[in-house]
Amino acid sequence: MKKKLLSCILAAVMALSMVACGGEAAPEAGTTSQSTEKTEVSKEEAAPAADVAATDLEPVTLKMYFHGSNVTDDSAVLDAVNAYLKDKINVTLEPVWGTWGDFDQNAVLSLQGGDDIDIYFTCSWSADEYNKFARDGYWVRLDNPDNNLIAQYGKELWDLLPEVLINGATVNGADGYGVYAIPGYKDIATQNCWDVNVTLLEKYGYTVDDIKNTDYYGFEEILKTVKEGEGADFYPLLVEGAVLERMVDNVTIVTGDSGTGNFMSYYLNPSDLSKPGAYGNKIVNKFATDEFKKFVEQTRKYYEEGFIDPAMGNKTQANDTRTNKQLSGQYLIGTQSYSLGYELQASQERGIHVEMVPCTDAFVDTTSSQGAMMAISTASKNPDRAMMFLNLLNTDPALMTLLNYGVDGIHYNTNADGTITFTDKRADYQPWTNGMGNVTILPPTDAQGVDFWDGFKAYYGTAKEIPILGFAYDGSQTETQMGAVANVVSEYMLSLCTGTVDPAEKLPEFLQKLEDNGINDIIADANSQLDAFMESKGQ
Amino acid sequence: MSKKASFKKTIFLTTMVLPGAIWFFLLRYLPMAGIILAFKNYKVYPKNPTFWNNLTHSEWTGIKNFKFLFATTDSWTYIRNTIGYNALWIVLGLVIAVAFAIMLNEITHKFVAKTYQTLMFFPYFLSWVVASYFLLAFLDPTRGLIDHFLINHGMNKIDWYNTPKYWPFILTICNLWKNIGYSSILYLAAITGIDTSQYEAAAIDGASKWQQIWYVTIPNLRPMICILLIMNVGKIFNADFGLFYTVPLDSGSLYSATMVIDTYIYQVMTATSNIGMSTAGGLLQNAVGFVCIVIANKIVKKIDEDSSLF
Amino acid sequence: MKRKRKINSISIPAEIACHIVLILFCLLCIVPFIFVVIISITSQDSIRAIGYSFFPKEISMEAYSYVLKLGDQLWRSYFNSFLVTVLGTFLTMLMTILYAYALYRKDFKFRGFFTFWAFFTMLFGGGLAPTYVVCKTVLGLSNSYAAIIVPMLLNPFNIIVMRTFFHSSIPEELIDAAAIDGAGEYRTLFKIIIPISKPGIATVGLLSALAYWNEWFIPMLYVRDAKYYPLQYLLMQMQTKVDFLVKNSSMIGAEASNIISTLPSDALRMALVVLIVVPIACAYPFFQRYIVSGLTIGSVKG
Repeated sequence: MKKKLLSCILAAVMALSMVACGGEAAPEAGTTSQSTEKTEVSKEEAAPAADVAATDLEPVTLKMYFHGSNVTDDSAVLDAVNAYLKDKINVTLEPVWGTWGDFDQNAVLSLQGGDDIDIYFTCSWSADEYNKFARDGYWVRLDNPDNNLIAQYGKELWDLLPEVLINGATVNGADGYGVYAIPGYKDIATQNCWDVNVTLLEKYGYTVDDIKNTDYYGFEEILKTVKEGEGADFYPLLVEGAVLERMVDNVTIVTGDSGTGNFMSYYLNPSDLSKPGAYGNKIVNKFATDEFKKFVEQTRKYYEEGFIDPAMGNKTQANDTRTNKQLSGQYLIGTQSYSLGYELQASQERGIHVEMVPCTDAFVDTTSSQGAMMAISTASKNPDRAMMFLNLLNTDPALMTLLNYGVDGIHYNTNADGTITFTDKRADYQPWTNGMGNVTILPPTDAQGVDFWDGFKAYYGTAKEIPILGFAYDGSQTETQMGAVANVVSEYMLSLCTGTVDPAEKLPEFLQKLEDNGINDIIADANSQLDAFMESKGQ
Repeated sequence: MSKKASFKKTIFLTTMVLPGAIWFFLLRYLPMAGIILAFKNYKVYPKNPTFWNNLTHSEWTGIKNFKFLFATTDSWTYIRNTIGYNALWIVLGLVIAVAFAIMLNEITHKFVAKTYQTLMFFPYFLSWVVASYFLLAFLDPTRGLIDHFLINHGMNKIDWYNTPKYWPFILTICNLWKNIGYSSILYLAAITGIDTSQYEAAAIDGASKWQQIWYVTIPNLRPMICILLIMNVGKIFNADFGLFYTVPLDSGSLYSATMVIDTYIYQVMTATSNIGMSTAGGLLQNAVGFVCIVIANKIVKKIDEDSSLF
Repeated sequence: MKRKRKINSISIPAEIACHIVLILFCLLCIVPFIFVVIISITSQDSIRAIGYSFFPKEISMEAYSYVLKLGDQLWRSYFNSFLVTVLGTFLTMLMTILYAYALYRKDFKFRGFFTFWAFFTMLFGGGLAPTYVVCKTVLGLSNSYAAIIVPMLLNPFNIIVMRTFFHSSIPEELIDAAAIDGAGEYRTLFKIIIPISKPGIATVGLLSALAYWNEWFIPMLYVRDAKYYPLQYLLMQMQTKVDFLVKNSSMIGAEASNIISTLPSDALRMALVVLIVVPIACAYPFFQRYIVSGLTIGSVKG
């Protein structure tokens, strides 16, 4: 009994000491905020002269929240980065390595809670969605006429970015129409392609040209031959329902639409993407068009003939199944949103010959141009220093390489031809390359080859800007309808787009329900916003 | 008892609740200020964007945030499903868990009973995601075990994930599977706490086993049954999101059988991500639960004063 | 004792019926877990070819060796989980018993108020963001073991269940008797009440130990330093990463598909479940000793 008592007391003491440890964090936080206040005062004197030497600047610590990191040991990198930054802009960087798993939840909480983080990763598809959070006032407007941070501290960076990126980043936010984040220069274009398993195709005496020369509505014969040859358990058409619909109908996502189940469409002009499409510069109800009806009827036909795996109609299962079938080469034609070099990588991973057959040329829309961005939080005490840092990061190859690839000689080695080869240490320090900003100033890796970035710039540099680039729908006036419609879309869309239900019965039911829940209000609202946007863009 | 002694007793008992009461205050009551989010349009206060500043400077919107719950043609479906499933499961869960607890208690070999009990707890460890994979192995449209069996025996296969009529049964089985172990252990512990002399007295009076269960075990379980019942009634407008979302693989064709308030709110949030609306939804759920609990408590109090919650 | 049970036990057919029902239900409970174990050792090629199956084409330990690559972090996290569970459960039980006992006492003047005080929080809460702000900025809970334990110390459900256990197992005369003997309130609780309430305490203890062991959400919110990661969070991170990449591969680009193609993703999901469940399932009998042994302890009288 005595022993038991003793152990209880011990445990209690331990607990108490731990609570005390936790308590200590509070005063610490207090002191840092004090010191930052101090810098704020002195900053005002330093502000007018932008090109001051690093030693004249007050030392500050910048916290930066990254997405998709896989970092277990950043000490070597941070030592080097901070030594470098001290000389350049007298900044100490404190990265927060958000991972694929926790970023969405934690970054949003940290923003809502007003944490003292200076720079956040943001984009069109993460939970701290660029456009919405800009409207709600979370991001500092960077080209604010009263305090133009880009003009003061980010000129080099701004001159270096392609125009499409700047156009895509200019949106309606809390402080008016402007730029609220620095877009990263990465794979910024969208190009939907048929992902063709050429190995299998040639087995049945066809060539890639047979795919190129026809379209979705002409696949039937090929699919049928291969299905018959491969057996009942083989499903030649491997589709992601939502992507398939966009590919076949040549439409693009309207940014600001409801998450994964989009219901607004902008029709592209496949012959010249920079011109208005079939419906002009208008947003339409995706499901009410003749094109959509024709598409779902054809898809249903393919489904009934056994060309599409029924698993593609189940939201939570579709992705897993699709990935598995891709990697084991169990498909003939798939849907793919292309990025440069994808066919080589895919061929290698899957052990088959993969080719991409594009449906349209590459184009830049709002969603793709906002694929990875860095925004300065309005909670930041040092927005101007944050901008200085972002400018340096995006223009200085040494810093970008250091932060992205690690330390030369530790995480990678430089080869004679200028490419780099990663070492084993890279496993401990692997931030998400594309999530960091301008990746074109990085050295090419040995896998990419010496002239990778030239090809990269050539491909993405020629991508066309669609007419409504930069437009993002603001649903704040129609939230009630948006919610109800999103739920209806989630009920019908995927099963229609993969053919698992009969459109003759379900499509009219679906359209009726959409109307009852107010989709027309949203479309009307979106079009009036688009008209206003086009007008302000034209000026 | 003297006044002084009674005063002393109050002091001592108060010191017992105090640590807990303070914890509740700090970690539960302080954040409750956030409930007003339900009536606000949450926007950042750019001058000093701390949470409290944002909250106090955001504009009031009245009941606008609640509108999305009712401005849809699906309101009736999700309300019916949420309350219907919960009501059914409260009753079924109660009856089966008590029955299992009594059975476990009556088994002569304690080692066997322990083994059963350990096994019954396993579902509690498996997340709904894992459970959904398991179910998929049986119901999969292309290689599921059941459809395989049906085809091999010359019957038509069933498209499980597109046929809503089977899902009330499937969901009920899943729910019981996961929760019975948990609640029967509570009842079992309550049974083992019963004074054995009551059984001895009953046995001496010639009561059969059934009579003993009816006249000794059940009355002794009554407080536990009532309390768990009341607490479950408080959750009548809350649904287990994982069960309704993950297990049917979020299949749209099943919505008429699987849509509940939690999945509806989730779908709306993916479209709008408005923190005020999600708070409003939660608040409504809790308010309904609160009303139900107060009524249930009143009823229980009428029947048996001691078994009521407060 | 044995003889007494025999006299007063159920008939043999009835007992057989009980066994059949319970065995069937237990099978239903354990087979999915066996399924999980089998998939965790199925090779990814087999899953790609024939899907999840009880009879894999090929066995592989790939998923486990992938997890073992975590190295020291894995053991560190096991230790953290263990520490958090033991310490957390102890503190939770202490506070729960104290709170519940006072509520059980009918002669406690503020009984109604404090019952409601606890119960009300079961229904209404401030939501995620406000709770996060209070914990982090007001209480300074971050990057420590306290940050994992403190936010989940009390659960009104446990308090009310505990109170009910007291109700059904402690005769009120016992307390009066203790009071007449002149025992202090704390002495009565620790020397008399707790020893005879073991089944209830063990049950609630089990439930809260499980809650601590399974928790990954709170560490995700409040802990950034890998030093404090409990096991469940470490493994959850792996899983959410896989899920996220599969879901968003089109937005993330080549890097995502690169990672996915090298991951034993399906087997990994299941291996993570096995690694979490096995230790706590082993701890289960420890609690069970007090729960099932039952009948012998119930007969203490005032």
